Amino acid sequence: MKHNQWWNLVAVFLLISSCHAVKVGDSAPDFEAMDSNGRVHKLSQYHGKFVVLEWHNNGCPYTQKHYESGNMQHLQKEWTSKGVVWLTVISSAPGEQGYVSAQQENDYMSKMKASPTAALLDPKGDVGKLYSAKTTPHMFVVNPAGVLIYDGAIDSKATTEQADIPTAKNYVSQALEESMAGRPVSTPTSRPYGCSVKYAH
Amino acid sequence: MLPTAASTQGKADEHITLSLVTEQDALVRGKQLWIGIRFDLQVGWHTYWTNPGDSGEPPRIEWQLPTGFRVGDIQWPHPVRLPLASLADYGYEHQVLLMAAVRTPEGLREGESTKISAQVHYLVCHDVCIPGQKQLELSLPVKMSAAFSPDRPLFVATRQKLPRPMPRNWKISAISTADEFVVNLKADKLAKPVQFFPLHVEQIENAAPQHSTEVPGRLRLHLKKSEHLRKPIAHLEGVIVLASGDAYLLRIPVAQPRKAHTQSKN
Repeated sequence: MKHNQWWNLVAVFLLISSCHAVKVGDSAPDFEAMDSNGRVHKLSQYHGKFVVLEWHNNGCPYTQKHYESGNMQHLQKEWTSKGVVWLTVISSAPGEQGYVSAQQENDYMSKMKASPTAALLDPKGDVGKLYSAKTTPHMFVVNPAGVLIYDGAIDSKATTEQADIPTAKNYVSQALEESMAGRPVSTPTSRPYGCSVKYAH
Repeated sequence: MLPTAASTQGKADEHITLSLVTEQDALVRGKQLWIGIRFDLQVGWHTYWTNPGDSGEPPRIEWQLPTGFRVGDIQWPHPVRLPLASLADYGYEHQVLLMAAVRTPEGLREGESTKISAQVHYLVCHDVCIPGQKQLELSLPVKMSAAFSPDRPLFVATRQKLPRPMPRNWKISAISTADEFVVNLKADKLAKPVQFFPLHVEQIENAAPQHSTEVPGRLRLHLKKSEHLRKPIAHLEGVIVLASGDAYLLRIPVAQPRKAHTQSKN
């Protein structure tokens, strides 16, 4: 009986904490996840650097828009060369669209010439739920002090069409550029657009 | 080997059929004609409302009509809530008609026929989503008078689902608290439960339950604010759908938190 009540309390606590979404201006919650090469990454190990989190699902047409055009790879290359840590996060549950094994993800990255710092495998959706990641893509930017400075869409044109990329405002680049120049981020949040993250049902 | 998107999902038009339909069977000079795109969806698949909610994208229709014709805005029937794990989308299942009014020009001549076309971009989703696009066209004769087309019943049925202006005897307002909009609706005989669909993105948390409390003659609806809402809003706009299926368009004035008052007194 006592035991049961205690577990109920734990369940309630977990429910409350999982409902508390991250907010721009607050410190970005720490997490630990394994990448496609078996290495463990903690967000806190990147304190002192800008970190980009990119939610990913290779079967989603919105993700495909940004990979088949080369846009995402270009951003990864550009920003990691400037010292930014770029973490691709895959929160698709096993059996759901976008779920990949470590090997499949490595094959995909070499085929697509993607170069994030790492691709994190999050099949239980723990990191996704911690950040309330809603769509693929859904982008977050963390500053060197560990504060979340951007939460939202990759850019301003919520479509699946590659032709819209050149004329769209890229909010991730904007947040990084502004923040690196010591200015406040002019668009700190936007509605993320894309497919829903394929969490376990 | 990764399965490609095409082999696992198929093409969009395997799950949806689009048709260009009209309410009348002919064009009449200077008269209004209703046209629409009918979406017939395979069971389990859906498309989106003007505010798609947490994911997805509303259909985009580009009407292509001869010079002098004017097309009005798309009339969006009220949506249904589409819960997905920890998210919620707003959209349509089974069938939906997105209609618009066309005003014909004065120079139209009887005996001729006119081509009406539309380019539709849409997203159709099950667990997975597939984007599609379709070019549709039809030709209508120009006549002295028009009769109803066979699609007339669909237009009539769809009008029942269009949000109407709020009844005059309703009184509505909302208070903004730290994490909620508390909507106060004074109205007689409300068919409950009610559901609120926000017209704009990122104002309320789509997946949060909408709790309502009742005082006689009054309904209080608690809507959780979106984490992305960073500035106060003067009005909360949306559609309220009653248990009876009646839908009303609301523009709710929002009173800001008391804190502002205290500060202004100092």
